[in-house]
Amino acid sequence: MNASSVPLLAVDGLRVEFGPAAAPAIAINDLHLTIERGETLVLVGESGSGKSLTALAITRLLPAAARITGGGVWLDGANLFTLPSAAMTKIRGRRIGFIFQEPQVALNPVMRIGDQIAEVMQRHLGLRGAELRTRVTDALRAVGIPEPERRAREYSHQYSGGMKQRAMIAIALAGEPDLLIADEPTTALDVTLQAQILDLLKAEQRRRGMGMLFITHDFGVAWQVADRVAVLKGGRLVETAPRGAFYRAPRDAYSRALFAALPKLERRASYERPLAAPALLEVENLRIEFPIRKGVFRRVVDRVRAVDDVSLAIAEGETLAVVGESGSGKTTMGRGILRLLPLAGGAVRFRGEDLAGLSEAALRRRRRHLQIVFQDSYAAMNPRMLVGDIVAEGMVAQDLGGSRAARAARVRELLEQVGLEPGHAARYPHEFSGGQRQRICIARALAVEPTLIVCDEPTSALDVSVQAQILDLLRDLQQRLGLSFLFITHNLGVVAQLAHRVAVMHRGRIVEQGTVEQVLFAPAHDYTRQLLAAVPKIGAEAT
Amino acid sequence: MIQGGLVVLASDACLFVLVASALAYWTIARRHEHLRAPWREVWARPAAAGAAVVLGFFIAIALVDSIHFSTRDEAQDDVVSLLDLALESLRTHPETSYSAPFATHAYSRETVRLPDGRVHREYPRLVSGGAHLVAPTERPADIARRAVLGLALGLASGALALLGAACVERRRHGGLAAACRAIVGGRTRRPWRSLLAVGCAIALLLGLGIALAPWYHVLGTDKVGTDVLYQALKSVRTGILIGSLTTFISLPFALALGVAAGYFRGPVDDAVQYLYTTLSSIPGVLLIAAAALLLDVHMSRHADTFDSLAARADLRLLALCGILGITSWTSLCRLLRAETLKLREVEYVAAAQALGVRSPAIIRRHLLPNVMHIVMITTVLDFSGLVLAEAALTYIDIGVDPSMESWGNMINAARLELAREPAVWWSLVAALVFMFVLVLAANVFADAVRDAFDPRLRRVGAESIATLAQETSHR
Repeated sequence: MNASSVPLLAVDGLRVEFGPAAAPAIAINDLHLTIERGETLVLVGESGSGKSLTALAITRLLPAAARITGGGVWLDGANLFTLPSAAMTKIRGRRIGFIFQEPQVALNPVMRIGDQIAEVMQRHLGLRGAELRTRVTDALRAVGIPEPERRAREYSHQYSGGMKQRAMIAIALAGEPDLLIADEPTTALDVTLQAQILDLLKAEQRRRGMGMLFITHDFGVAWQVADRVAVLKGGRLVETAPRGAFYRAPRDAYSRALFAALPKLERRASYERPLAAPALLEVENLRIEFPIRKGVFRRVVDRVRAVDDVSLAIAEGETLAVVGESGSGKTTMGRGILRLLPLAGGAVRFRGEDLAGLSEAALRRRRRHLQIVFQDSYAAMNPRMLVGDIVAEGMVAQDLGGSRAARAARVRELLEQVGLEPGHAARYPHEFSGGQRQRICIARALAVEPTLIVCDEPTSALDVSVQAQILDLLRDLQQRLGLSFLFITHNLGVVAQLAHRVAVMHRGRIVEQGTVEQVLFAPAHDYTRQLLAAVPKIGAEAT
Repeated sequence: MIQGGLVVLASDACLFVLVASALAYWTIARRHEHLRAPWREVWARPAAAGAAVVLGFFIAIALVDSIHFSTRDEAQDDVVSLLDLALESLRTHPETSYSAPFATHAYSRETVRLPDGRVHREYPRLVSGGAHLVAPTERPADIARRAVLGLALGLASGALALLGAACVERRRHGGLAAACRAIVGGRTRRPWRSLLAVGCAIALLLGLGIALAPWYHVLGTDKVGTDVLYQALKSVRTGILIGSLTTFISLPFALALGVAAGYFRGPVDDAVQYLYTTLSSIPGVLLIAAAALLLDVHMSRHADTFDSLAARADLRLLALCGILGITSWTSLCRLLRAETLKLREVEYVAAAQALGVRSPAIIRRHLLPNVMHIVMITTVLDFSGLVLAEAALTYIDIGVDPSMESWGNMINAARLELAREPAVWWSLVAALVFMFVLVLAANVFADAVRDAFDPRLRRVGAESIATLAQETSHR
């Protein structure tokens, strides 16, 4: 075989299993992949499809419960699975670089960033002294960190989220690897940061002629970095195709279904907002502050203004989407409106009555009109309670639904309403998938017959196909029950699909507010334009 | 000889309340899957199941020892327990002083007046130890014969237990013989093999005891001639009571204060924190010594209410549990406060607040069930530490009443016994072995409980594989 015809990485018939050898759960089944030098292969799939396990299996870093039971991985024609462990440590970091999803956890918090890069260079390239220091600074400069000499001496907590991921990339590239594995490197980042990191990765890959295995669940991101795309489903490879061909016409039915479920900015169903509905909720000059306490007596020395002078209104039967990046104060505002957090100023008028001035007891009675659905459906339900009790909790607290039997009947009805089975009431939350759990949370909110539901990123932890189902459910409930939604999200595609009006939030303030058509297609504010430009668009060439 | 009826000492009542609450917990746990699953995991561990049998045996001794009757005996005991009645021969046949295990003669020379009036110093025959032997030379053969008899008895009951277990498992394995083979091979779903192995060991020891103890002082006698085996057995109740009652007393403080501090924060949190930092910075021994002194003064002032020796000793034991409990809630309280601080920010608490659920209901329904695993883990972990603490405290004379049998008292006495020549070692060894077995069993059991209940240590079971696969793919 000619040396030049050997691919950089070849995965051949890889099989990974979990659990007892007698009855294993097969996580990856007969997987074949190749990556050439200078090529980016993007592995896409929904959660649980085995994307990350594939990456871990290639570097032989699988969790203890998982076993490789077949196939092989060849790097430049050498089988990695037959190498002794000691030789494998020379491959990791030197030949294969790895970038994780959460830079926060992947960086060592008690070691200077510069030392973490130097460690790799020292070990794999044998650099010492002044040369090592220059190379570390160069590495940080290459990934776009300003003042690299000073920043090399800092610790990870002194870095912002985007800078941490840049530092992570610098560490992964420090050993000058031939292959870079990036496991959802931008999922934890905001869209504007995501665009920067993707540009950086792509540029470094081109400059060094590395091969890259890029793992993502986001088709937009895949379009921006891919040369070829591979789709995984349930541990099996569904389809591999060059980027252009794949996005023009995916061959497999599953790939097409994933495309169809994608919320797109352009797509907007005929979803008219009710005409001349009266205002249900009016928020005026809302301020929420967090005190900074110092000293022995925990005196308040300063305040952080998380929500600053926000005013908005929601009409009956209307959906107002609040978009913004993480840390912009949108979640804080949602909780403040429900008075789950103390308000520093302003008014929240619900049907003309100011909630901010109500006593605890009076507020408790109003709570049934305003409900909330959280992002993390796993944390949103007490793991020690049955689903039926969880859904009924609000009815008990608000003294609704009559007798115990009547409440149980209502719980069954609610579960059916959100697309579950009545029998599910007798199960525990952990027995359900992410999408089903979010349906239970919606049923719990509906149980007290609210008029407004604050949806705090209810779909951002879900796969695209499940997200589409939940969005359909919410729209259906709105039309049937005349609900109003305050929909908090960072996903502009979801906004286009569901909302009537949009408010853009930036650093605790609302910078722009208007109908979806106005804000998304004719943005007035600079920040809105930046946000829209950063959204990865399929079909547009990355710069 | 039982003149009066049943006497319920305060500590008896406490012990039975403890057993009743354990039973109540069991009935509740049976109905909730989230409690049943971790306990199933505990029972699936052979070591934990074996340790549970040992613990159960000790608890059974303690319970039998907690059913008291009043007597009008001329002996100094005015209250005797069911265990005393069972060990009648050990209790009522004291020697005059030390004797070694299985001895027929006293350990030290005594002055004996011979029938002809001459005074002679010799090792006199014991009153009850080996008294049935005509000549002391028959002793080895006699012991061997009785031991074989005892072992046979133990083996027979072990075989009976195996048969019983096989009957239970018969249906699953098809036939009695197949069930027996499955049990011996350790292939049953319930950990029968380890249960039976430990049970058999206990049966053998019991058989030996039944065959030998009425005729010999198996573990020797102490300074005043009391049988050491009897003392060690009576000490079981003291140890168990201190280990369990103390945690039971400290629980309400730790739970109420810890959860309240974590949930309400602000001034409540400040007050609770101030309380436990103050309390935990006072040396515990000092507090205990002060409390013991106070109680002594109180009892001597009201001598008429504490007329019986047993009642006084009992009260002192309870006071010790109380003061240990009041000083030892701080560490659990800290853990619970921290966990509650974390939990109250979890979204299901926010959801309950948004639904208008009141604070007491939120604490009861959402916080308490989710911190109970910490309580469970701490309780079993603390048990062995408290048994050891009793020994240490009694050793420095601020523990239980000197008239009450306890391992601490036995070890305390051994301080002088070891200093004499030749040394008396059996009291110390007996106390150490009994205490060691109980504490070891409690520790093994506690480890299994922690592994099963701690969500961070949860093992990879067949059902959690799917979740794990999902988690790794999210990482």
